[in-house]
Amino acid sequence: MTDDSASTLTGQSPPTSESSGWALELRGLRRLFGDKVAVNDLDLQVPHGSFFGMVGPNGAGKTTALSMAVGLLRPSAGAAFVHGVDVWSDPVEAKRRLGVLPDGLALPERLTGGELLTYWGRFRKLPRDVVAARSRELLRVLELDEAEQLGTLVGEYSTGMRKKIGLATALLHTPRVLVLDEPYEAIDPVSARVLTRILRRFTDGGGSVVISSHVMALVEQLCDRVAIVAEGAVLATGTLDEVRAGASLEDRFVELVGAPEPEETELTWIAG
Amino acid sequence: MIALKFTILRNTSAGLRRAGWIAGAVLVVATWVAAVIAPTDQVRHSVLALIFAVWAVGGMVGPVLTSGAGVLRAEYFTLLPLGRAAVARALLVSNFVSIAAGFVLLALLASLWHAATLDPLTIVLAVLGALLSWVFVITLSRLVYGLLGAAMRSRLGIEIAGVQWGILLAAMFAGWMIVSVAITSIPALLIQGLPVGPITLVLDAIPTSWPLLAIEAGTAGAWGEALLLLLALAALDVVLVAATLAIRDDPVVRRRGRPRSLGLVAGGGILPATQTGAVILKELRQWRRDPWRALESSTAVWTGAVIGIFALLGSSTAPVAAFSGLIVAFMLGLSGCNLYGQDGSAVWQNVVGEDETSVRSDVRGRQWALILVFLPRAIVVSVVFLVLGQSWWAVPYLVAAIPATLGAAAGAAVLTSALGVSPGVDPRRRVGPNDANGNISLHIWVVIFAVTITVAPTAAVIVWAAASESPLVAVLAAVVGVLNGFAAAWLLGGITIRYLGTHMVDVFSRIRYGRVFREDPDAGVLGWIAQSTLKAEQTMHDAKQKERDQKLAKTAGR
Repeated sequence: MTDDSASTLTGQSPPTSESSGWALELRGLRRLFGDKVAVNDLDLQVPHGSFFGMVGPNGAGKTTALSMAVGLLRPSAGAAFVHGVDVWSDPVEAKRRLGVLPDGLALPERLTGGELLTYWGRFRKLPRDVVAARSRELLRVLELDEAEQLGTLVGEYSTGMRKKIGLATALLHTPRVLVLDEPYEAIDPVSARVLTRILRRFTDGGGSVVISSHVMALVEQLCDRVAIVAEGAVLATGTLDEVRAGASLEDRFVELVGAPEPEETELTWIAG
Repeated sequence: MIALKFTILRNTSAGLRRAGWIAGAVLVVATWVAAVIAPTDQVRHSVLALIFAVWAVGGMVGPVLTSGAGVLRAEYFTLLPLGRAAVARALLVSNFVSIAAGFVLLALLASLWHAATLDPLTIVLAVLGALLSWVFVITLSRLVYGLLGAAMRSRLGIEIAGVQWGILLAAMFAGWMIVSVAITSIPALLIQGLPVGPITLVLDAIPTSWPLLAIEAGTAGAWGEALLLLLALAALDVVLVAATLAIRDDPVVRRRGRPRSLGLVAGGGILPATQTGAVILKELRQWRRDPWRALESSTAVWTGAVIGIFALLGSSTAPVAAFSGLIVAFMLGLSGCNLYGQDGSAVWQNVVGEDETSVRSDVRGRQWALILVFLPRAIVVSVVFLVLGQSWWAVPYLVAAIPATLGAAAGAAVLTSALGVSPGVDPRRRVGPNDANGNISLHIWVVIFAVTITVAPTAAVIVWAAASESPLVAVLAAVVGVLNGFAAAWLLGGITIRYLGTHMVDVFSRIRYGRVFREDPDAGVLGWIAQSTLKAEQTMHDAKQKERDQKLAKTAGR
């Protein structure tokens, strides 16, 4: 089903065996949690230099699929490739090219943002002066320098600040593919612009960005390619215009995913 | 003692609660018996004063260990349309309505007997006094728990908790010493009371003793003085209640580090700017700043110190005190037996940051950090107790035994951390003193076992040195001890590195998903430990879930 919808909706050629043609490729990814199928033979191709949005309702399997794509969750079946490198059979090479921002996970909570970046840069074997320069610049650009001066620990950061410091860790080692789970969640509008500017610069330089979100308007505004995911499978994927096919992304999404028709009698009391 | 140890380690809440009830009832009876059999009024006074003080201390220590007081957390009520003050009052009142509080009241009422034998008229004073000191003990208990739970951010709070845990662990490790001291001294205490002196003065100053003083004042006809004492106790109660409510009113006192300049962010420091150096620095900062880790290291120190003090108290056990520092070194193994669990879901960084050397750097860095944290503490405790006991003869043995034990413990700690990761509550949501770990009962045994086996060479040479009394053999023992320590840390760390090389994502899975997604379970000892700890973790999780469901059902049924 997935293959059909992918090829008919996108109008592009089906994936070739030469996987290195894609920045990120998920092939038949599957994850079972007990009897529940969280991700169901999911296929996805992200071209080089694209800004790719993965949209879907809550519980669609976006986070689970992305976790498998970056090596955080062992797939029940299928494979994930970064620049043609298999994430699960050659993790070191694949992870070198990946920058990851997971959603809702802890960081070393008792470090300041600067200390965290310093740790992370050195852990990823960057030279000392490169770590220092990049950390400082990232803190400044992401407007975390004030918190740093106060000695604020990551554990005391607001949700938006956590997203930003998480993004900084994802960018620090100059990856080629960024996989960001809900990067815009809880970020204020000003920071969101900064974030967008950074990500655009990244794609302009040939890097690829994959974000997940359930905010259609955001994805429509940012991404050049999208995939609609529901119940663990891709319902439609391709360029933004291909997927929305004349309508808005939201209408197309509701059409594909399905929404319950509101009953006239329900919640009549709510207006008081 | 051993039964207690098993009960606590097993951490089965229902069993623990029942054991607690029985223990509480026994203690209440013991309090009354002590009051009744005291031969003179003066003995009864000092015995009761001492026992009441112990009840007060028990009230302070108890809730932290059983986390009974933490069943209801203020956060649970944040969404209800109740003022903070109302929630705080309700939480405080809920503390008085418990079996433990009932036991405390029953025990404190033992002063009735004191009043009855002195002058039946003073029973009024006794009842009033018992009620007032009951409020004192329970509120104090809540206050201490609140200080710990809400304000684990303060260094002092951590040290207080460290002392509490230190006393408990010391009792578990060296209970025989306490028992032997107690057996020789309790009968004498019950018959002769405490010798008048500074101890009795201090005891009388403790508020739980004030009702006794009031009763005696009443007997002597000084009713004004008696009432004054009770009023003072009442005033103290009011202050404590106010303080407890105040904590609840302002639960988040942010602990801020010193302002740092940006120039220092990626600055020099004495540690190398390598992968391992980065891990060491991160770990040292976590050990210093994470309250739960700071509590672990502080507990290690106090366990050693408390055992040392117990040992010094008994004449036959005094030489043991010289080895208190060795206890601290050994405690490294228990304090660090769940490092990845303490990091919680932050372990994702180790997974996505994987390269050829990342696992090795991570494990070695954590080991070095453990040594750097615990070695100074072991040395300080050793020096203090060597001086106190004047036991210079022990120095050569310590020089051999401490490095060996530290190394072995640092190896065992990372190995159990990797095999039996037990996340507890994820770092961002931790509030209570028991949140950092899940079920780590098996870890403790693995650490004890691994350390005991790997320090065997040093132990053998120490025995030889002690038997031969030759200074040359003593030097040899020191050399063997240091080598043994390095070898044990290197060997056990190496096993950990090999295991994590293929299992880092499984460690993360256990934290994030509470299970491992592997089609082929590992064979061998490592696999067995990994699976047993995981099963224990899941069993505990299920039990907690069940308990929660039952509670919910109960409340729904009302």
